[in-house]
Amino acid sequence: MAAEAKTPSLAEEYSLPPQEVAVEKAAEEKPSSGTETEAAPSTNDEAPPSVEDKNETSEVQDTAEKSEAEETNTAAEETPAAEEASETTEEEEAEKPEIKIETAPADFRFPTTNQTRHCFTRYVEYHRCVAAKGEDAPECDKFAKYYRSLCPGEWVDRWNEQRENGTFPGPL
Amino acid sequence: MILRSLECRFLTIALCDAAEPWQLGSQDAATPMMQGIIDLHHDIFFFLILILVFVSRMLVRALWHFNEQTNPIPQRIVHGTTIEIIRTIFPSVIPLFIAIPSFALLYSMDGVLVDPAITIKAIGHQWYRTYEYSDYNSSDEQSLTFDSYTIPEDDPELGQSRLLEVDNRVVVPVKTHLRMIVTPADVPHSWAVPSSGVKCDAVPGRSNLTSISVQREGVYYGQCSEICGTNHAFTPIVVEAVTLKDYADWVSNQLILQTN
Repeated sequence: MAAEAKTPSLAEEYSLPPQEVAVEKAAEEKPSSGTETEAAPSTNDEAPPSVEDKNETSEVQDTAEKSEAEETNTAAEETPAAEEASETTEEEEAEKPEIKIETAPADFRFPTTNQTRHCFTRYVEYHRCVAAKGEDAPECDKFAKYYRSLCPGEWVDRWNEQRENGTFPGPL
Repeated sequence: MILRSLECRFLTIALCDAAEPWQLGSQDAATPMMQGIIDLHHDIFFFLILILVFVSRMLVRALWHFNEQTNPIPQRIVHGTTIEIIRTIFPSVIPLFIAIPSFALLYSMDGVLVDPAITIKAIGHQWYRTYEYSDYNSSDEQSLTFDSYTIPEDDPELGQSRLLEVDNRVVVPVKTHLRMIVTPADVPHSWAVPSSGVKCDAVPGRSNLTSISVQREGVYYGQCSEICGTNHAFTPIVVEAVTLKDYADWVSNQLILQTN
């Protein structure tokens, strides 16, 4: 369903999608509940296009988040990684923050050992996204997550400082 | 001492995940990559021994038969087309047999094959390491980061390895694809864990990636592998591999500790 909406990019074609399995299963289970059958496809169509870089599974993640919010247990337990985490958090949900085992995906623009550009590009992408969509735009969150995962904290601090001073060397 | 080393090699009770005195071989593999490295080493050694036997035989035979006592008048052969072709072609085929599996392993090591589940940043300092687990951050403020210092030489507890133990170990889950981002904050360092088959140089201003997937639970020891200053020898690396559930527990505990 997600693949028909637009042609998948190179990264989507070749990456192993653990998220998609979870979404499909969650969508299959939904008709049994009967109430919100159209929820997943409709969010797909309405999903606003993210910034010019669309090689990530943006709508898949959107639907995953939606369905998780609607029925936390089924959606969370489908993914093998989240399964373990949810077990622990269900017991002590009140005190412990939920641990989501998820990080920036492998990016085919940066297939080599040198990941300096990967980090930098994600940082620039986030700030371009914020500039285009405005602060607090939900579609920019994933870029924030990616650059925080990839960039050493010291670099982020320095770049933040440079942006404030207007001396940031990237295309913002 | 040698006996103990042999014991580690052949009478394996616990697997060898730290450097041993008088150690000759590799540490036991904890990742598929290390297993590949060990297998490649053994494959190449097969050819190495063949060559050693063949060359030794030629050398010993030549010395035995063609010396002043047994053969006072040397033969004057200066040209032999067949033998020259054979001894040119054949030795160049052998490196091919070594190169094919070697390149296959090399490219499988740095290829982007699967999406990693966790990114851990190992940041080298003079002379300690900072580890950042930034997958759980909700702002640019670091939520889970800690320094890993060596236990001083005069301070180890019973059972700890001298100059190999640290105060805060890197905790990783087993059977999970990990992305290690390695970078220093000052001078070049190197993040190396022999059991994981990983040695990744940390170059200032650059972040290097290395992927590991630890297959069994355990504590793995490594040392800084790029001369980084006076305390280079006192900058060990300790990786503690636990189950995914324990890892999630550990992360949430650390998050609570660091936020409070």
